[in-house]
Parts: sequence; structure tokens; C-alpha cells
Amino acid sequence: MSVTVGSEIRPLPHPPILVKGVKEGLLFILDDHCNFQFLIEHLEDLLGGATAGLFDGATVNVFVDYGERSLVQKEIQRILSVFLNKKNFVLREWGYDTRAHEGILANHRKMGSDGNFQTIFKGTVRAGQRLVFQGDVVVIGDVNPGGEVVASGDIYVFGRLRGITHAGVRGNRNAVIAAAEFEPMQLRIADIVSRAPEVDGRPLHTTMEFAYLSEEGMAVDKLQYRTAIAATYHT
Amino acid sequence: MGTAIVITSGKGGVGKTTSTANIGTSLALLGKNVCLLDADIGLRNLDVILGLENRIIFDIVDVANGSCRLEQALIRDKRSDHLFFLPASQTKDKSSLSTERMKVLVEELKQSYDFVLIDCPAGIEHGFHVAIAGADQAIVVTTPETAAVRDADRVIGLLEGENLKSPKLVINRIRVQMVRQGDMLDIDEIVQILGVDLLGVIPDDESVIRSNVRGEPVALNADSRVAQAYRNVARRILGDSVALMLLEEPMGFWSRVKRRMGGKA
Repeated sequence: MSVTVGSEIRPLPHPPILVKGVKEGLLFILDDHCNFQFLIEHLEDLLGGATAGLFDGATVNVFVDYGERSLVQKEIQRILSVFLNKKNFVLREWGYDTRAHEGILANHRKMGSDGNFQTIFKGTVRAGQRLVFQGDVVVIGDVNPGGEVVASGDIYVFGRLRGITHAGVRGNRNAVIAAAEFEPMQLRIADIVSRAPEVDGRPLHTTMEFAYLSEEGMAVDKLQYRTAIAATYHT
Repeated sequence: MGTAIVITSGKGGVGKTTSTANIGTSLALLGKNVCLLDADIGLRNLDVILGLENRIIFDIVDVANGSCRLEQALIRDKRSDHLFFLPASQTKDKSSLSTERMKVLVEELKQSYDFVLIDCPAGIEHGFHVAIAGADQAIVVTTPETAAVRDADRVIGLLEGENLKSPKLVINRIRVQMVRQGDMLDIDEIVQILGVDLLGVIPDDESVIRSNVRGEPVALNADSRVAQAYRNVARRILGDSVALMLLEEPMGFWSRVKRRMGGKA
């Protein structure tokens, strides 16, 4: 399963490299979950194989976004050398979260009433999967132990939350984490990390709860109180 | 045209190889032509459990390299005419087999067998990707422990990413007594976390270890409850609907007396 940003789930099997025309030039989005060998073979084939001719011609600005993949020096060199071999390519941007990529995603997302992005993700977040979202996210399904959901806004889980959630990842301390069944492994809001609330060594088992930052640190309360609490702390 | 099923788990030691041998044997007992393929190159075990290690001349890497023909490497089981076995190499390592070569090999085997069962190595690295390359379906084996379930969850995620949708689950080594006392995860809880169909539940039993040491798959021993459980798995693979076995130990006279007197059975 790939990292899904935005409300679309990519159909499978998808090519590991997505080429998009953007205003300033060409954006290459490299899949961040497939195996490196598969990626590099596909890339070499794309730019050096039968389709190579497509990319020849006038000088063009190139943006490369490798997403969440952690690359070692050798792999970076290998990827970059493929791009640098194309004489007419001018590499403008290289990284994750490149501006060109953000620009495309922004067009796909619906704007919420408060100007925030809102996303609905349907499905189970399994161990080892890390989903990153811009803005608020609603997960319809379970977040299993070892799974991770990261959002720059709020996180709502309509299902059982047993993994790790990180709300307000870019520093928004007003973000909240809510779940229908609240048994998270770890809670993170902005730069604060906390473990799930426990009573007598067992996780609390109640109805829809949410975690937020109060003046004393991480706090967990019933979701019904959210507006009242928000009024106390964040106005 | 047969079906290729990979048997995988992520975590080691949960019973992939034992399950492969026994599901394969059970399918063969039901009259299907089965080929077991050991994809754990460098750490082969399936041959030992089948008791066929002294018959190996060529292995899967030899076939992939073209050093021998496929038929030369295939070993017929000494107990069944329906069961065949393609051993892994013990001397090479996992890099000696590519996903492309594996796909071709499995495709070739599917022409002549009803089922090709692939015994996947532990882990989620290259060896895992090679093992699942040619498979049409997947069976995930787990045990009622948190770590095993976590790894199974991870593997199911990876399988879904590789287009092996809706893998089936086998829960191995259930101990009824421990589940009842709440010391072991129970079946419902595991199924709920993993969210996939349950193919079978295998009780924990010493007969498995005894059989593995002797090189006789336990499925051949009709008296064993484990054999019954594996045979049920095989029948479910063939599409029969078989109710889950009652896992309760048949109660002896003394435990019944004890229970009546209010003690723990």
C-alpha cells in the first residue's frame, strides 16, 4: 500500500514513476513504497529506453519528488545520474514535499470551510504503513498497532485506533486526535509526545474520545466536550 | 491450469514450513496434484519436514540457472503419487533467484499441477518479494502472540500492495487452555485486527514436533487433531465449507470430576 496523500487511492498496479506537466516544466513523482531496484530500472527505462525520445528537445525545467523514501548516498547518486544524463534537463528541485508537487495536490483537494484541507481515507492502516496528510483527515477504518497516521491538522478515526497518530505535525498545537475506539499506542500533537491514558494499567475503553493539548499537557476527553474545551483554551 | 499459493508470515518460527508441508500433504490426500516449492534459499527446511533431504540432487537455483531441467529437480514424495517437491538451494543465497525467473518457474509448474504451494522465507526483504512473485493467492500464518500478529498485519499490507488482495489467515499453535484464561490472544481478536478471512485454526500439539523430527508430515497421522485441522484447511481451499473444529480437549474422567467439584479442568 502506498502513502496516500489526498482523497484518491491510487489504483494498482501503478507505475512507480509519475510524470506530470507543471507550469514551470516537468515534475517526476517517484513512488516511495516500491522496491528501489524496481524504481531505478523503471526510471532508466523511461529516460534511456524506448521512450527516451519523448523527453529530448528543448531545455526543460525538471522537478523530482521522491516522497517519503529514505535514500542512501549511493541511491541518490544513481537516481540523479539518470536525470543529469539528459542533456536538455535542468534540475530545479530535488526533495520530498517539493513545491511543484504541493501545487498539484492543492488543486485536487477540496477546501474546508475554515480554509483547511480535508481528506477522507477509507481502509485499514496496517502495521508498517505511514500515511501523511495535509490538513484534517478522517480515517474510516482501523489504525492497527504499528500503523501511523500523520496530518498537519486534526485526525479523526472512525474505527479502532491502536497505532500511532501525529496531529498538527507542522506545529499546530490546536490539532486534536479523535477515535471511536481509543486505544492508541502513542499520541503526538505538534511537538508533544504522550502515551495513551491508562486506568489500572489497562487502556481506557469508552466511546468517542479525543486528545488535545491543555495547559497541563496532553489531555483526553469525550468528543462531545470538544467545542466547550476549544472555547476555553484556544480563543 | 493450477493455482499458486504462497504461504507467508513475516515473523519466523510461526509454522510456515510446517503448514506448507501439511496443507500440501492434505491436498494430495484429497487427490489433487500438488507441487511444494521451497523459496527459502540458503535456509531450506521443507525437505527435512517432508523427510526427503536425502533425495535432493538439483534444486530451484539449478533450474533457474538452466543447469538442469525442471523435471530433474522435482522430487516425488515417497508416500504419495500426487505430491511433488522442488527444493531450495542450501549453498546459494536469496539473491540467486530473481522475481522474473520465479514467475516463469511458477507459471511452468502451474501447467502440470493443481496447486503450487510456495514456502516463503521469513522477513520482508528480497526473498519475500521473490517468493510472492508468481503467486495467485496468499495464506498468512500467525500465532496468537502480539508480535506475530503485528508482523502478519505488516505482511498483509505488503501483499495488498503487490496485488495479492484478500489473503487468507491460518492461526497456528492455539492453546485452548491459555486462551480461556486470557493469556493468549483469542481467535476473534486476531481476525478483528487483521480483517481477513480465516482459513483455519491449528491447535498446538506435540505430535507436530514428533512428526517434524521423523520427517513425516503430521497430516498423514489421521488420529491427530492437528492433522484434522490441516485437512479442514485443505478442504476449505477446495471450496468446501467446513465448520471450525471444536478446539476443546476431549475431557477425561478425572477432569470431568474436577470440574464438577468446582476446580479448574
